[in-house]
Amino acid sequence: MDRNDVEKRVTKVVCQVLGCDADIVKPECHFVFDLGAESSQSVELVAAFEGEFQIEMDEDSALEVQTVGGAVEYISKFVK
Amino acid sequence: MKDECRDNSSFVLHTSYFLSPIPYPLSPAPHILSTKKEIPMRLVVFDRPTDKRINFYPLALSRPIFELRCGMTSLLDKLLAKFAAKDAACFVPPYLAEVYRAQSGRTVNDAQSLGGDDLLLLDGRVKAAELNLSATGPSQVGLDAEGDVLYVRLAKADLGKVKTDSLENLLESAKVAFPHAAEPVAAWNYTWDLVLANPAQLTVDFRAAGRSGVEGTIEEPRAIRGSLKDVYVAPGAAIHPMVVIDAEHGPVYLDEGVEVHPFSRIEGPCYVGKKSMLLGCKCREGNSIGPMCRLGGEVEESIVHGYSNKYHDGFLGHAYVGEWVNLGAMTTNSDLKNDYSNVSVVLDGKRPIGTGSTKVGSLIGDHTKTSIGTLLNTGAYLGAMCLIATNGKLLPKYMPCFSWFVEGAVTKGFGKKKVYETAKIAMSRRKCQWTEAEERMWDEVFQITAPERDEAIKRGRNLLCPGKNA
Repeated sequence: MDRNDVEKRVTKVVCQVLGCDADIVKPECHFVFDLGAESSQSVELVAAFEGEFQIEMDEDSALEVQTVGGAVEYISKFVK
Repeated sequence: MKDECRDNSSFVLHTSYFLSPIPYPLSPAPHILSTKKEIPMRLVVFDRPTDKRINFYPLALSRPIFELRCGMTSLLDKLLAKFAAKDAACFVPPYLAEVYRAQSGRTVNDAQSLGGDDLLLLDGRVKAAELNLSATGPSQVGLDAEGDVLYVRLAKADLGKVKTDSLENLLESAKVAFPHAAEPVAAWNYTWDLVLANPAQLTVDFRAAGRSGVEGTIEEPRAIRGSLKDVYVAPGAAIHPMVVIDAEHGPVYLDEGVEVHPFSRIEGPCYVGKKSMLLGCKCREGNSIGPMCRLGGEVEESIVHGYSNKYHDGFLGHAYVGEWVNLGAMTTNSDLKNDYSNVSVVLDGKRPIGTGSTKVGSLIGDHTKTSIGTLLNTGAYLGAMCLIATNGKLLPKYMPCFSWFVEGAVTKGFGKKKVYETAKIAMSRRKCQWTEAEERMWDEVFQITAPERDEAIKRGRNLLCPGKNA
């Protein structure tokens, strides 16, 4: 899976969980400050990423991911 | 700094406690006076790591079964009182030993306690009131209906006939060596047995405590229904004006330092533990509360261990709640099905178990927290260390330990480290300390409960990402 595919699917999950439009979801977007994620939605995002990409994310390192681009970067390591 | 978790009051005869995580000792509950003369033998109470332990989960994941409560005291307290023993040596699952030893100050999992004296070894599940057994006498074994050893009375002269290097070996060899009691021994089988027996046990324990009257303060206007002989307000307890104590149908015991705010109604039988607060609480019949709890709303026929909060409105009925639990405002459990059929409970995440009762509420493990408006189904099981962020619908009946319920799905949340941090904060607010030993115990609980949690998390991912086969 190439990085573009990961980015598209990350964007899809972010829109689904946070209820925002795809056109505002940019790599530099901060989940909390730009996209308004609540703490419970952070939990939901991690679970949804795991479901979407069939991966297991470590809680501590996953929660260090703050931006959409960071999520793409993090997930790309698992789905090479 | 005053440490409210270290109440080392000395008691006349029997000390009884609510079980609390270390390092604070088991918080004292009222001592039950025993008129019996102490019998010269060693009492050994055990909680074996068998398959039956799951019947007492999630509460028994973090404490020995015999530290569960019914009425005003724990199961262990009742066994101590039954045999006029000042204390007992204990055997518990190995992962609980370090914490329990620190909490109780007792000899725990020490094979040396299996010799040198007349012994009475009792499974902590044995119903003290129904046990027809003298503490001393010829060696004898009592079994349950399935043939498991529930007690061994072992005369010192017979010690050479059994293996005393471990509890398991002793029980096994005694079963072969000694005659069996003719009748099966009655034992507690499930947590809800304790809840259902609680009202009657409260009355028995109140009589055994032998106290009545008002040693604390009750401000005017006050309203006490029934006989004052059925009411005990301990020293330091403060009952504000406009509180109704209704002892017409059962006794009410308000322990030291209890504070009852106006517009609370307390129906007997009831026990409220030391320094607990009732805040405009409709405290219906059959409750065992405390110590250090904060209760509001409506609570009926429930057992709540220490340091738990249900500060706000919402109904809790026929429930068993652990320690350090926080139930958010309007958290409500059902304890009766609309078709009046018997309630079933899922203890392992898979198989419902019929309780045989139409009235069973929720079982809630230690350190679990619910959000505002949480709705718990009849016979719900909330594991320990859970965080429930409800979506307004009824929760699933089974929530594995260490799970976070978010947007209608079970997730792993922020992981156990974050849960531990929250537990530390909650405990520090009550001047109690989280210790490394406790963390090791909870790490083990995390491992024990991993299979059902992992399954639930997989299902949760599917809910949050429909179409994926996680």
